[in-house]
Amino acid sequence: MTNEQAAAGPGRAANGGVAVEARELTRRFGSHTALDAISLRVESGEAFGLLGANGAGKTTFMRLVTGYLLPSSGTVAVGGFAPATHAAEVHARLGFVAETSRLYPDLRVAGFLRFAGGARGLTKGALAAAVESAIERFHLGGVASRLIGHLSKGFQQRVSLAQAFLHDPALVIVDEPTSGLDPIQQEEVRGILAGLRGTRTLILCTHDLTEARDLTRRVAVLHRGKLAAMGPTPEVLGGEDPLSLFRGREASA
Amino acid sequence: MTPFWALVRKELAVLFGSPLAYVVLTLVALVSSLIFFDHLRIYNQILFVFASTTMGGFETDTIPDYVNLRDQVFFPVMENLGFVLILLVPMITMRIFAEERSRGTDELLVTTLLTPSQIVLAKFAVTFAFVALMMAASFVYPALAIREGGLGLEHLLAVFLGLLFHAFGLAALGLACSAFSRTQLVAAVGALALGFVLWDFSWASGFLSEGVIRFLEGIALHPHYRFFAEGVVILSHLAYFVGLVIVCFALARFSYDLRRVAG
Repeated sequence: MTNEQAAAGPGRAANGGVAVEARELTRRFGSHTALDAISLRVESGEAFGLLGANGAGKTTFMRLVTGYLLPSSGTVAVGGFAPATHAAEVHARLGFVAETSRLYPDLRVAGFLRFAGGARGLTKGALAAAVESAIERFHLGGVASRLIGHLSKGFQQRVSLAQAFLHDPALVIVDEPTSGLDPIQQEEVRGILAGLRGTRTLILCTHDLTEARDLTRRVAVLHRGKLAAMGPTPEVLGGEDPLSLFRGREASA
Repeated sequence: MTPFWALVRKELAVLFGSPLAYVVLTLVALVSSLIFFDHLRIYNQILFVFASTTMGGFETDTIPDYVNLRDQVFFPVMENLGFVLILLVPMITMRIFAEERSRGTDELLVTTLLTPSQIVLAKFAVTFAFVALMMAASFVYPALAIREGGLGLEHLLAVFLGLLFHAFGLAALGLACSAFSRTQLVAAVGALALGFVLWDFSWASGFLSEGVIRFLEGIALHPHYRFFAEGVVILSHLAYFVGLVIVCFALARFSYDLRRVAG
């Protein structure tokens, strides 16, 4: 850990430095190339958006960063560590919110958060404090003792977000956070994410342009596994027809 | 609380939070009791036939030695129970890994500090603990009843050990099937099919060579289990079940590596 990182507090990345770096990152599933030689850097403290239509390769990229999948070729590093070989170092720095609310419906909210914190190495006092803080931060007090399966999708997504922040990670990856939510729930979740900007590195994976404009400073657009565009959000999404990037327009930014 | 124990606690909460666990426990207790009482009923009928006045009554030596509780009730009950477990154990194991995959929670697990080996170990440990509870529920009543009929505690312990290891072997097979499946149904059918196929190969003795038969008997469940049912503990049979568990554990662990490569 550098002095800058140390000064930023436990688990948090100091501004400056590289949070995620992919070099010629390629992932194939049989004959299908889901991700084709992607190279990009996400700086520490940055709010970065990964955009693209369904099937563009966003989730595959996320899974390579978290170590859930191994690359076919190329490299990816989180805080300088390769997820394939240094999973513990990467996961200690990482909070991950999956595409839909991937939770345990038979567990109660507080019990699930205690499990999620314990699985990330928090013990006793620190665990209790982290769970209490997450319940307060994500407004889960009223539902803490309820079964997750009985919650609305909006509340389930809040639980999903809460578990990712328990161990105060330097990098949070959020995959399609508002997918399947009604407009009011979408607004709530966006509000929560907006409040998190600047506190740590955020990678937001979405196909919602409004979400990307509101929450990120820089974006990369994927099209059929290739990088179609990358740059500051207002520049990349500021044209007359930003959706054309989703259809495969050549990179301009 | 270490990540491993956090997962163990979560697995226990999920397992006992589901009605399926209670349904299976009840089913096992019910089925084992029914098997026991059915054999007891048949035993009583046999006893009655031998003891009827036309054959000399209870006071004579007309009741042969093989008509006793041990041979007519306890052995067949344990044999049948061993077979019934092939049907019941997959009901518990089918969801352990497959449900995580179908819900997508496996992605959450592997982004924590848990290693794939710890995930597999925790799931095996919790499943085995449940299976042990299941066996106790199925075994205690027949064992206590038969003990009155003259079986010693050591004999009963040997039988229980066999039943337990047999159930662990079936659970390990079921868990390996679950680890390679996305749907619980496929996991259950796979475990059932494997259990049935591995149970006994004596039916093949008529058309396979002696060497092949010897090999098949070496990997079959029943030839190893039946000695325990007779109250005999032989180390090589224990080693068979331990080996089966180790192989299945390694396969379940391998499924994680395979998923990272194959997607």
